[in-house]
Amino acid sequence: MEPALIEARGLDIAFGAIPILRGVNLAVPAASVALIVGRNGAGKSTLVRLLAGLSAPTAGEASLFGAPSRTLDSAARRRLSIVTHQSFLYPNLTARENLEFYADLYRVADGRAEIPRWLERVGLTSAAHARVRTFSRGMEQRLTLARAMLTRPEVLLMDEPFAALDADGVGLVADLLCEAVARRCAIVLTAHQPITIDGLEFDLYEIVRGRLRPMHGRAIGASAPRAIGGVGR
Amino acid sequence: MTGFSVILRKDLRLELRSGESTIALVALSLLILVVLVFALDPVGGVRDAATAAGALWVAMIFAGMIGSTRALLAERDNGCLRALIASPLDRGALYLAKLAAAFIFMAIAEAAAIVLMVLFFNLDFDSRLLRLLPIIGLGALGFSALSTLLAAISGRLRAGDLLLPLLAVPMFVPALIAGVKASGAALTGASFGASAQWLKILIAFDVIFLTSGYLLFEHVIGED
Repeated sequence: MEPALIEARGLDIAFGAIPILRGVNLAVPAASVALIVGRNGAGKSTLVRLLAGLSAPTAGEASLFGAPSRTLDSAARRRLSIVTHQSFLYPNLTARENLEFYADLYRVADGRAEIPRWLERVGLTSAAHARVRTFSRGMEQRLTLARAMLTRPEVLLMDEPFAALDADGVGLVADLLCEAVARRCAIVLTAHQPITIDGLEFDLYEIVRGRLRPMHGRAIGASAPRAIGGVGR
Repeated sequence: MTGFSVILRKDLRLELRSGESTIALVALSLLILVVLVFALDPVGGVRDAATAAGALWVAMIFAGMIGSTRALLAERDNGCLRALIASPLDRGALYLAKLAAAFIFMAIAEAAAIVLMVLFFNLDFDSRLLRLLPIIGLGALGFSALSTLLAAISGRLRAGDLLLPLLAVPMFVPALIAGVKASGAALTGASFGASAQWLKILIAFDVIFLTSGYLLFEHVIGED
């Protein structure tokens, strides 16, 4: 069995006396996607932060690439990308400057040369020199996707990546997910409700009262390979 | 390009674009010096160099707190600090880059403050100011090192902006005394030997603040 790139073992976290997550176990090997659904406040974003090592669990351990998330070395962190409700973009930098910053920070080979291609891919070529503070929420989300994918991650943690996107944007996310899986990226994805993406298989989980449990079966879309992504709800 | 230079270049680019930090620092230095001029000598009596040195350091400390806070504030927009923590960037490099940004903002404000001090306190633009520069530079470096660390702590707390001066000023007092004494000696034209002892104390505190900031920053910035 292939080792898990993303793993949670007995994760607990509580805010004060309120338990948010209890005994969460999860293993996501390369080239696979775990889709985690749950209502508002179920703990999806908290779980993503724990997996990324951005929060400390009350008990248990999250690990990436077989090492504890909170003490990952630089080489391992270079292989990780995160999409959260916060865009991680600097409002007073332009779209291009933001991508240049992250390409330099992650020392992406040919990163700067790749930037025009990514801006075109997310439909922001005409806004390349506009400051992010002038962007709509949807444009910011598109640039966030470019920022996350530019570094060619091997582990991708995405908290509700479809938020604020129009139909084209949702298709874009679907395509990016398919491509990431094709290059053997391990992905954790959260959403409010189960979704299907053509050509992509998910291991489907639900967070209920702080516990992560598998949902019956797998959410499987059409098996035929596709050029343009689409999402069914 | 190293992580240090990537962060520093981005901070300087943001500052050149908005000028928010340096304008705020220079304006605050101006206000503090104006207030002190009137408070210390409202009827236009003798304005001595030692008093001018004290006023300059007061302006430097309060402006420096804004500089350090603002250098880290940019990272709180859109959760950018989380992105840096999750990135391959070494946290020591992040501290040094933030320290360097705060120091540059502070140095610009101090250059303006020195000119204002000479004008407000009826001093001369002469070689004594050159002796003042390394002293102010050491002071700005030490205070940037201390306040960058403390700004990282206070930025995570509710009402942290109030906490920063409460922590930074008392901790900087020994270096402040040394800096004011050394600056006073430089401005009055006393021999180098008169200020050498104070300079050694200032350097010692710079080393302490830099070392402790570099070692502790990782622990105060990482926890969410």
